[in-house]
Amino acid sequence: MDPVLLGEILAGLMFFGVIGFLMLGFPVAFTLAGVSLMFGLVGMWMGVFDPSNFGSLAGRYIGFMTNEVLVAVPLFIFMGVMLERSKIAEQLLLTMGKLFGDLRGGLGISVIIVGTLLAASTGVVGATVVTMGLISLPAMLRAGYDPKLASGVICASGTLGQIIPPSTVLIFMGDMLSGINAQVQMAKGNFAPTPVSVGDLFAGALLPGLLLVGLYLGWMVFKAIFDPASCPATPVPEAEKKDLLREVVVALVPPLVLISAVLGSILGGIATPTEAASVGAVGAMVLAAFRWRLSPRIVREAVISTATITSMVFIILFGASVFSIVFRLMGGDNLVHEFLSQLPGGTTGAVIAVMAIMFLLGFILDTFEIIFIVIPITAPVLLNLGVDPVWLGVIVGVNLQTSFLTPPFGFALFYLRGVAPNSVSTGMIYKGVLPFVGLQILALALLFLFPDIATWLPRWIYS
Amino acid sequence: MRVIAGIVRAISGFNWLVGNVFSWLALAIVVVCFSVVVQRYVFSTTQLWMQDLYVWLNGAMFTAVAGFALLRNDHVRVDIFYRPASVPRKALVDLIGVLLFLLPFAWIVYTYGWNFVARSWRIHEASPNPGGMPGYFVLKSFILVFAAVIALQGIAMLLRSVLVLAGREELLPSQLRYENQQETH
Amino acid sequence: QGNQTWRMVTTWPKNFPGLGVGAQRLGDRITAASGGRLTIQVYSAGELVPPLQSLDAVIEGSAEMSHGAAYYWQNKSAGLSFFTGVPYGMTSRELSGWVRYLGGQEIWDEIYDQFGVQGFLSGDTGNQAGGWFRNELTGVSDIQGLRFRTPGLGGRVWEKLGASVTNMAAGEIFQALQSGTLDAAEFVGPYNDLALGFYQIAKNYYFPSFIEPGLATELVVDKAKYQALPSDLQAIIRDVCQAEYDSVAADFAANDPRALQTLVNDHGVQIRQFPDEILEAGANAAKEIMEGLLSSGDALTKKTAESFVSALNVVRQKTEGTDSLFIQAREKYFHI
Ligand code: NA
Ligand code: NA
Repeated sequence: MDPVLLGEILAGLMFFGVIGFLMLGFPVAFTLAGVSLMFGLVGMWMGVFDPSNFGSLAGRYIGFMTNEVLVAVPLFIFMGVMLERSKIAEQLLLTMGKLFGDLRGGLGISVIIVGTLLAASTGVVGATVVTMGLISLPAMLRAGYDPKLASGVICASGTLGQIIPPSTVLIFMGDMLSGINAQVQMAKGNFAPTPVSVGDLFAGALLPGLLLVGLYLGWMVFKAIFDPASCPATPVPEAEKKDLLREVVVALVPPLVLISAVLGSILGGIATPTEAASVGAVGAMVLAAFRWRLSPRIVREAVISTATITSMVFIILFGASVFSIVFRLMGGDNLVHEFLSQLPGGTTGAVIAVMAIMFLLGFILDTFEIIFIVIPITAPVLLNLGVDPVWLGVIVGVNLQTSFLTPPFGFALFYLRGVAPNSVSTGMIYKGVLPFVGLQILALALLFLFPDIATWLPRWIYS
Repeated sequence: MRVIAGIVRAISGFNWLVGNVFSWLALAIVVVCFSVVVQRYVFSTTQLWMQDLYVWLNGAMFTAVAGFALLRNDHVRVDIFYRPASVPRKALVDLIGVLLFLLPFAWIVYTYGWNFVARSWRIHEASPNPGGMPGYFVLKSFILVFAAVIALQGIAMLLRSVLVLAGREELLPSQLRYENQQETH
Repeated sequence: QGNQTWRMVTTWPKNFPGLGVGAQRLGDRITAASGGRLTIQVYSAGELVPPLQSLDAVIEGSAEMSHGAAYYWQNKSAGLSFFTGVPYGMTSRELSGWVRYLGGQEIWDEIYDQFGVQGFLSGDTGNQAGGWFRNELTGVSDIQGLRFRTPGLGGRVWEKLGASVTNMAAGEIFQALQSGTLDAAEFVGPYNDLALGFYQIAKNYYFPSFIEPGLATELVVDKAKYQALPSDLQAIIRDVCQAEYDSVAADFAANDPRALQTLVNDHGVQIRQFPDEILEAGANAAKEIMEGLLSSGDALTKKTAESFVSALNVVRQKTEGTDSLFIQAREKYFHI
């Protein structure tokens, strides 16, 4: 058999082999590497893979270990963990709940607003769904909310952190797309490609993130008007309202200062994401200190969370490197190129195919695995077809967020299930997020029809 | 069986210690990076070696704590089938995973990384950036540290699986047993 | 022994003007000259390994060849900087004079022998541009605290002059300039810089580059595999490198001036010369660095520096004593 064809077939089988073996449930980073090694071994026997290619592993690893852009990841994680420990989320939820409680749908609106603020001040997801599930879900249930609506609004708002900058996912994606874009443009003979950076991706994701917030808010208002029983108002006792203004200011000012310092300096082009993240990390410690929550024990917990989460993410990157060495050198790149360029519908068809694959992978894999596997093998083809890199990064982000909300496997649903009272059944959570999945799909459609939603802001800022 | 349980305890204790020590690098990254920012934006000055330092600290941190993260079950799993599985079944998955995936991976990293690191020590390799940090070989060594800590913790997982499948999980202290394994995200 | 395929990793992006193109052309020429007996598969920066891991890839055996610049590996042996170019060092013609006829290659081989590889000169950009600055420079005082992007020993020179120096990948420079993270940046010369769009932000383009009198590229090969080749294939690799040293220099000689014209005529760039005070302070800083290398504790580094300095004092006699006089005369009297 033609060795080129044989290599491509093996590479294709490897992709599905990896997914199959991942279902066993062994940690992803090691499964990715291990399965790729097995296929590399088979490829070696068949004479389509040269094991000396593994000689480049150490070089790739030291590349990740000395990558300045990616240091923003532990810094933003530290900032997020520190903020979580200083209980800012709790305070925000309680005061916002009082502020909007008098309104029909008010508690839902306060959850969306708090979700947005938290999303804009940290780079990590997960914690937000849990915090809101613990504090706001019981409050909404007490107020007589439809448990379905309450679950849906918490899951959706709690996952905004992934798309609203700063976001660790966008940092990795920005770092990858910037290299791929330069390669593709130079290969096409464009020696003056507009560079793509993490900052561009942050800027590009801001309006789409706010668009989602707007859609969620619109849905709450719609429910409040046409289905008032699902989200009744909860009169707030006058006694609790006395100091409300002061409470709101106290709760809002710290996160707003941090958001403007960090996001403002990145989007305003004053500092790089890594520099801004270090300021954010120090700022979060200062906030914690003001709240008397900067004890040695809390700092110790924060560094352990930061180190282990960072390690988990980077080690997936290590495992994915083994995958990409074997996949690429067996000819997988060609395979993907042939597949994507022969789809009906041209560029749009190719983008939709990649999005569909990512959406499906999102049921079983976490964001990082998906982007580490899929972006390096598909983005070169898509960018070569003329897809805008910032737009691509943003729709991938929204798409994966959608996938995490989609029953039955969405990750956000698991988080909420973990903290929801038994009176809220899993079926209610599933039904509750469906309208929000619909809103996500609407946002994706708008992004396809009006790419400027993602590309206008970075263009405007950097010109 | 008691010996096996002892080994599991020893390895886990070792990675717990390594993890607890190296996690503090997270704070060091914050401090060093922030002082570079202050120097640059407030005092318009720079130290080339500091620009290397915080980046290197990240590399050392995430490799060194990889075994600790595995001990804490922080590494993400696809848990559609794993989460609801019985303890012996989980033990079997971990046994197969360590043998088929984790140990070969650690072995490949070790085999192809050894010369890379040894050569760096021989020539006392410094940072690629002139004026940067000395001791690049120390950072490179963390590639082998990574292979070592995950291989060790992998062996601990494997032995724990053996204990579980032999029906002797009770020999392990409770925090190392499956029932107390934290759920992944 | 049948047909072989060798992997060439490079530190350049694919099709990168002058350099990436040169690496690809070098590979293609070997393939063609060998009649397909030795096919060179070229991988651009990052395709197989990160660009700065190219040499290690050859040493580790995951590639047979690497195309890059020797000064990227100065942390493996400080003497390697000399084979690319050092501040106030040799022009491309002078450098090949040293390497081929004044003992340079022998020392280079001695350095690379430790790693089981062999280096060949494979191209040169010629004198580079000094850098893009937002503001005009009147003297050394304007450099204090200036945030400047420049790598290598040149970075250390600028640091000694008072600049706040960072090294940044090509793709990041533009945005850093635009956002004000950088006040100034130095990359290659007009042919490459035009492509990166720096003229949109910094209008003052300074010459000459006293920190990079040239940038010699190298082809590094796995020595054992090279020596195992039949002698005609060895000769092909060696001679194609020699031919490419000239081709790359010619490419820059022809295209740098054309790009510079575009920058001036279409984009309003101001061509400026560094004030004497900066040139002199730069020379003093470069001397300090050179003296450090001459008294290096590492015998091989010391030997390289000594050989370089003594060769420089030979070759400069022709460049400064003859060529330069002619160039001045031609500039003054002969325009048609
Ligand atoms: Na965020
Ligand atoms: Na240069």
